[in-house]
Amino acid sequence: MTLTDTRTTSDNSATARGTVPTALERVIGTGEHQAIGRTFILSSLLLMAISAAALAVGGLTALSSGGALDLSDPLWNSALVAMVLMGAIGLLLGLAICLVPLQVGSAAIAFPRAAALSLWAWLVSGLIFLVSIPLDGGVGGSKLEGARLGMLSMGSMMVALSLGAVCVATTVLSHRPVGMSLSRVPFFSWSMLVAAPIWILTFGSTTAHVLLGQVSQTNAAGLALRFEAGVSWFLRAPAVYMLAIPVMGIACDIVAQACGRRITRYSTVQALIGMYGVFSFGAWTQTSGGRQNIFWIAFVVLAAVPVLGLLGLIADTLRQQKPEVSPGLVGVLLAFLLLLGGLLSGILEALNTTGSGTLFSFEAAGLGWAQGVFLVSAAFLGGLAALSAWSRVVLRASEPRAIVFSAIAAGLVGGGLLGTVFLIQGLTGSGLNLSFYNVWVAVSASVLALSALLGLMMALVTSRGNSAEPDASGAVVSGAVGLTLEWASTELSTQDQALLMSAIVGSPYPLLDFRSAGEPVEEEN
Amino acid sequence: MSDTATLSPPEVAIPTDSPQVLLVPAAELFPTMPRRRELIFGTVFVTAGVAMGLLTLIGSYIATRDAAGAAWLADNQIALTQPNMQMLTMLMSVVTMQWAVWSICRDDRYHTYLALGVTLLLGIAFVNQSTFLFKEAGISITQPEGPLFYAVTLGHLAMVMAGLIFTVLMAFRTLGGQYSSRQPDGINAAAVFWYAGVALYSVIWFAVYIQK
Repeated sequence: MTLTDTRTTSDNSATARGTVPTALERVIGTGEHQAIGRTFILSSLLLMAISAAALAVGGLTALSSGGALDLSDPLWNSALVAMVLMGAIGLLLGLAICLVPLQVGSAAIAFPRAAALSLWAWLVSGLIFLVSIPLDGGVGGSKLEGARLGMLSMGSMMVALSLGAVCVATTVLSHRPVGMSLSRVPFFSWSMLVAAPIWILTFGSTTAHVLLGQVSQTNAAGLALRFEAGVSWFLRAPAVYMLAIPVMGIACDIVAQACGRRITRYSTVQALIGMYGVFSFGAWTQTSGGRQNIFWIAFVVLAAVPVLGLLGLIADTLRQQKPEVSPGLVGVLLAFLLLLGGLLSGILEALNTTGSGTLFSFEAAGLGWAQGVFLVSAAFLGGLAALSAWSRVVLRASEPRAIVFSAIAAGLVGGGLLGTVFLIQGLTGSGLNLSFYNVWVAVSASVLALSALLGLMMALVTSRGNSAEPDASGAVVSGAVGLTLEWASTELSTQDQALLMSAIVGSPYPLLDFRSAGEPVEEEN
Repeated sequence: MSDTATLSPPEVAIPTDSPQVLLVPAAELFPTMPRRRELIFGTVFVTAGVAMGLLTLIGSYIATRDAAGAAWLADNQIALTQPNMQMLTMLMSVVTMQWAVWSICRDDRYHTYLALGVTLLLGIAFVNQSTFLFKEAGISITQPEGPLFYAVTLGHLAMVMAGLIFTVLMAFRTLGGQYSSRQPDGINAAAVFWYAGVALYSVIWFAVYIQK
């Protein structure tokens, strides 16, 4: 029988034989979703730092050569790809693997071995990709072997991330408890259910181009062309918007938790997240003509509507109930700021498409880079905020707030400045020739790398801290209590957890319901 | 699949404004059953990704062929007999696969095994026909059309072979008694993947072989 659920300790044959696995064997061989998710998160933070540092090195290299901002530089492109696939999506997927099963009240993720395969394939491929960059490979490199290695490892990362997304989406669809219909799924799980198919379809298409490049191109220049023509579209609007889908779910869950109240118009919020997901599907824009028509303009512009709608609903919730300010809440709201920057870059490119040469004369490449950088920063900042907000669940202890605030501030400054320089490049319509702009890129990318390192430090410090006790942890003292099922293990007694899990879910906030109905139950018992 | 997990949630009408409904133990209302549809959902997602990849390859093939014009495959002859027979084989396999699904849903194990066996036979025949077609067409990987032609056709062939392996695995699990009318997910999932493979071949058949 194929194993799709995590083995319990009792049926571990190795343990039964008296062979105790080492710590390394436990990490590598585990099918436990929280361990897989945590490894994903820690690795993605480290890889994000390396990727951003690579971009900083690219800026310094361009500075030393005295050139303008060179958006076709292989090192810059490789760094952006690495930030998207290793930093942003890796972090969000790790959080999803860790949290989504708990949010839907499941003891395990669907296909746990596939989730573990996803982690290790992604990690190994990511490391190979990073190794290929200094070999003059990565994406667009000039050495054939390095470029082949870079493209192949990029394709492997995409397949691995898709596999992880399959596990998460299947968990949401088939592991829900009785009574939790899709309309009652927590927002983060819902957003992952929306994001997963988009990621799978997008990466299915890009992987096909990677395969085609490996088969048909016999030189590095051909591989670079294949990347530019067949793969790079996923780094630009509307496809790059898919990075922020989970951020919308994270935002809604964190706001509800900070306010201690339900988000009103639950179905509307779900519909807005779904609508944003639809507009972030961009596989149809991969041909040059695909970006020059009314549909592309409509997709790019209309994607702003659900974001603004969601911001309105969040503002309404915050207006009705004063929130408990936390690093998670601040971080996710700032992530929206970066998301709006990405949307603005997309809208400017749409305006340029409609009136190029008459009303506007922007540079599409610069605006495309701005979209990618703003979105990857928004996704990364949203991931950091989620890691902070769910630290007692994911890392089993309360996070050190000073480090989290520092990481979030650095992420906002680094991502914001980095996106802004490319936005300026796009708006000026020509290459920025001042050395100052290369310094700007190098400094802001360094700050982004610092943010990732601070996030990693926060995760390591927190995970080595004491286990959170419901009555002693800082978060409980500050008043932020969980509303959804993932908090049950940290905030309820074992007896109450059993009672909660055996009950029919009657609303999107089962823990809130349980608290309001908990006392009569105890009296009855 | 977990044998102890709860049934995936049925749509039950529960008034949200009444917290007391939360206190009804779910186990009293719904029996413990294997988790349903997990494998089907997973297969659908994987199939979507694979289909997207193949459709992208087909799109690239069509775009490149249109750009090449009359020079495309000018030195090769692809007779339609073989692709037509392959299409027919795949269509027949849809019928036999659906026969397997129908049988397992009625606990007719004999016909389930028979239908799966015939489907496997037709799938193997398709693989054999493909290799014959490749030899007959004589398209070299070094000629301009070669990489795209083989990326599309071998990509699909790999999907069919994956479908065959999936079907064999599900057949063995059925033999082991894991699937029945109460839990037919494995056969259904294999069928979903197989139908997608047939649908994609129909696109290839038209775009690559008929239109040339």
